[in-house]
Amino acid sequence: MILALGRTELKLLLRNKTAAGIAVVTPLLIGALLLTNEVLEWTFTITVQLVLMLGFTVYMTVTTSLVARRQDLYLKRLRTGEASDATVVVGLLVPIALLGLVQTALLLGMSTAAGAPLPDRPLLLVLAVVGGVAMCCAAGVATTAITSTAELGQITTAPFFFTLFGGAAWTMVSDPVDLRMLALPGGQIAELVKAAWGGSTEHVPVAVAALAAWTAVGYFAATRVFRWEPRG
Amino acid sequence: MVDMANPVIQVEGLRCSYGDFEAVRGVDFEVARGELFGLLGTNGAGKTTTMEAVEGLRATTGGTIRVLGADPLADRRAIRPKVGIMLQDSGFPGDLTVGEMVAFWRSTSSRASDAAEAVEALDLVHRVDVRIKQLSGGERRRLDLLLATLGRPEVLFLDEPTTGLDPESRQRVWEVVRGLLDGGTTIVLTTHYLEEAESLAHRIAIMSEGRIAVSGRVADVLARQPARISFDVPAGFDVCALPILAGDVVHHPAGRVEVRTGELQRDLGDLLDWARRDGRALTGLRANHASLEDVFHAVRTDEKAMSR
Repeated sequence: MILALGRTELKLLLRNKTAAGIAVVTPLLIGALLLTNEVLEWTFTITVQLVLMLGFTVYMTVTTSLVARRQDLYLKRLRTGEASDATVVVGLLVPIALLGLVQTALLLGMSTAAGAPLPDRPLLLVLAVVGGVAMCCAAGVATTAITSTAELGQITTAPFFFTLFGGAAWTMVSDPVDLRMLALPGGQIAELVKAAWGGSTEHVPVAVAALAAWTAVGYFAATRVFRWEPRG
Repeated sequence: MVDMANPVIQVEGLRCSYGDFEAVRGVDFEVARGELFGLLGTNGAGKTTTMEAVEGLRATTGGTIRVLGADPLADRRAIRPKVGIMLQDSGFPGDLTVGEMVAFWRSTSSRASDAAEAVEALDLVHRVDVRIKQLSGGERRRLDLLLATLGRPEVLFLDEPTTGLDPESRQRVWEVVRGLLDGGTTIVLTTHYLEEAESLAHRIAIMSEGRIAVSGRVADVLARQPARISFDVPAGFDVCALPILAGDVVHHPAGRVEVRTGELQRDLGDLLDWARRDGRALTGLRANHASLEDVFHAVRTDEKAMSR
């Protein structure tokens, strides 16, 4: 059932040029452009690439596509079928999460080809990617509650989107980092990337805890405020 | 075919609210296996809210609902495979083709019927490769019905299935609905079209302001309203010249005389005798049983009288 929902959703995503542009083209394009610059610090470049993927491919796409499906009254239809509510939402999120993972592989592949070293602690990189995707899916679903139309999604996603970039940037330029940066979504991603490429692992537990906490907050908000129909 | 001793749907004291507004205020009905139950009423009477509650899509604020012996909201997973739902307004992703949508919906149904047959039955064969956003309103509504019936439902909910359809599409939908009834499907239908209810429903309920105002077999509901006899006012007509009739005589200024009567045959006979005796021609003579329109009108009149 999740597979059928996911396959259909992927088809829809790729057929909508705006959505496909934001989800697929933007992160790849900016991620590739970054590499044309002289790379000062690889963890910096890779963090930006990951945050681009999380912000554009996952977070914004989750919000705008779910809102578009709700506006089309397609979500309402899906509830009349055999799938449970949770199955419907997960089915719609799966292709977006997969798209994010494929983007990550492409971006990291490009960086490696451009001379980036391989991570010393790949598990921490996996944690950053998977945790980041989970957090952004949960936050994206929660954001649908304050987004009445897909167009409005460009505005309502801005606060979390910029916090994600800001948190990552703050953590990247700070040494030492402290709880304030690690608490912001995005901060943990940068910290985990640094640690994955040989940096200190001192803050890894805090970073992972903060990532889990943001995912949990998003999840609880999403399950409480999610609406299946546009407001009449 | 209709087994009244074996209700498939039981609704008792159903109440639903939106904030402070109580849209459904204590509704009771039962639907037997193989029966088509029609839910009628004006916009805002509470039909769709009732439907959504019985479908398990909406939380109730009171009462109990049993569909196939289970609570449609709490036991949704258990009964949903046996239930088909056509909402009053639900949408499609416009970028899918008809064929893709049908294939997708089949893959989520545990008891799906043949796609080609379903597409044929609703006259969508020539539109299979067309994107849904290019369909006409009638075609979308037929696709709606197709999806609702694709899982061979035992119980089918149709919320205004023919609203906005042209007469040909409506006939097509009626044919499909009759076919489902022949196959033993239990159906709950809401409609604004009284002739639709008259021609399809075994029993109906007319809702008004969140309650059921009138219900029963269509013939019984109609029998509770007076029949009408009407004819053009003859030249030099005087109401006093009429024979004594069981019904009430209304002399419309527009030039028609109307008799509203519970004794259609007797009054019509007396009128015809009177006309023959006096050698009068009753032009434009009509005699009808009450229509659902009349019943509806009576409910509306009561409603207005109550609110005054």
